[in-house]
Amino acid sequence: MERKRNHTQIVSDMLGIIQERRGKIKPTHLMYKANLSHVQMKKYLEEMKKKDLIVKKNALIEITNKGREFVMKYSQIKEFEETFGL
Amino acid sequence: MKIVFTPDWFLSFDVLIEIFSFLVLITFFVLALRSYKLNQNKKALFLGIGFFLIAFAEIFTIFTKLVLYYDTIFTKEVGQMIVTYHVVNSVDVFYYIGFFFHKFLTLSGLYLIYKIPSKKGTMGDFILAGFFLIISAIFSSSVYFVFHIVAMIILFFIVMNYINIYKKTKFENTKTLIGAFAILLASQIVFLFSSIQIVYAIGQILQLVSYIIMLILIYHITKYGKKKKPHADSL
Repeated sequence: MERKRNHTQIVSDMLGIIQERRGKIKPTHLMYKANLSHVQMKKYLEEMKKKDLIVKKNALIEITNKGREFVMKYSQIKEFEETFGL
Repeated sequence: MKIVFTPDWFLSFDVLIEIFSFLVLITFFVLALRSYKLNQNKKALFLGIGFFLIAFAEIFTIFTKLVLYYDTIFTKEVGQMIVTYHVVNSVDVFYYIGFFFHKFLTLSGLYLIYKIPSKKGTMGDFILAGFFLIISAIFSSSVYFVFHIVAMIILFFIVMNYINIYKKTKFENTKTLIGAFAILLASQIVFLFSSIQIVYAIGQILQLVSYIIMLILIYHITKYGKKKKPHADSL
């Protein structure tokens, strides 16, 4: 069974999905891809916008440079944690 | 009694190896701290503290050795004056304190790294472990191999811990980590015979190899971490 994702992991997953889609995605696509409910996604998007990880442009969600940097740092940390079995 | 077993031709090389080890250990500390900040992972914090303590121990040994090597030259230059004798005597205390902290911090750091994958220990466990580590570090001043035996035992259990983790995860990086700690363990076995000067140098070189492997591991973590794509698993 997969482990329940924590808050930071969900944010990283959402940003990763946007990044895979050349940095832009429709909110509904993101919701399905990230496996989130509408309420959950709204909450996460607001927080990510506040932290400048994403911007909304023409009904699309775009990842910022800060968002890309976050995805990279988070992947490195995950790699580190897996190495040490943390 | 001899304080260090470094052969003359190896003087300064050992300090360079220790500076290199310090840099690798501090990088692991930074990675662990980042993990704690991002995920609030307490295990990562303790792992980071473990690496930091060993890095701090390296600082103690670097400064102590630098003073020791400098002092040797100084006393040779001054000659047989009585004043020099007093200076050396007071500096001796500095060496013992420096090497004591090196040993105590190294053992404490290794103990923390060993303790992390296991279930939470009680405060009593830590106090008892701390007591034994202090005793070991004190005894190591008169019987040099006590430190290496204790370090060897803790490193053996660290290697066993990571072998168990590897069996579960089959994660390649963990295999590299096992290799690095196993070589560090081998270096402690070699250090047991460091009264033979060449053996001491071999032990130091083994330690360098171990830290080079750790540096390669850091490269893998940062490089492949960039390439890895996140995925949404079930909630």
